Amino acid sequence: MVKIRLRRVGAKKAPFYRIVVADSRSPRDGRFIEELGTYNPAADSEKLKVDLERVQYWIANGAQPTDTVRGLIKKVEA
Amino acid sequence: MMPVLWTKGGEGMPEDRLRRSMLLDYYGELLTPRQRECYELHYNDDLSLSEIAEQCGISRQGAWDNIRRAGEALEEMEEKTGLIRRLSETERHLRHLRHLLKEMKACTAGSRNLDALLQEAEQEVAGLLKTSDGDETDGI
Repeated sequence: MVKIRLRRVGAKKAPFYRIVVADSRSPRDGRFIEELGTYNPAADSEKLKVDLERVQYWIANGAQPTDTVRGLIKKVEA
Repeated sequence: MMPVLWTKGGEGMPEDRLRRSMLLDYYGELLTPRQRECYELHYNDDLSLSEIAEQCGISRQGAWDNIRRAGEALEEMEEKTGLIRRLSETERHLRHLRHLLKEMKACTAGSRNLDALLQEAEQEVAGLLKTSDGDETDGI
């Protein structure tokens, strides 16, 4: 199954996140199919960026967003 | 660089996750390896409980217990030491100080308000020194 997850990257004590499309069978090896957005808490503006069009595309094609990602999408749409 | 944001509450996303990430960065070494792994998989890699259970070879309930205990241990550590709170307070002062210095630089051409700015900068430094001494300002 293909999932849309929020994955942490970035240095220790400086978290930075990517919203990625990834295969559910390889959750930790860092590989992902496509990046759909970022969440950068340290940014001054536009902390959260999501490509909603691509999100819709992937969901239409059966990708499962996690609850976390679903929440983020709602936040962007609002 | 540390995010400026350091608030409790904000349950849900994404502030809560950020807080949890920071707690893990600062105090993660104090958890058991299993707790740490479950917590990390859940909050840094966004894995569900059943995915974690499968990956670690434990039950779903076991995964949740590890995550919950890890969370409690991390929060307790921050509550007792206040390390992250103090560091983010220090960073706030430093940012303000930098801002003041920039303004001073801009002022030196006319040099009218320089005295007031210098005094404010001095207070900033004083506040910073007080914070790093570990004074409990909120009177616990």
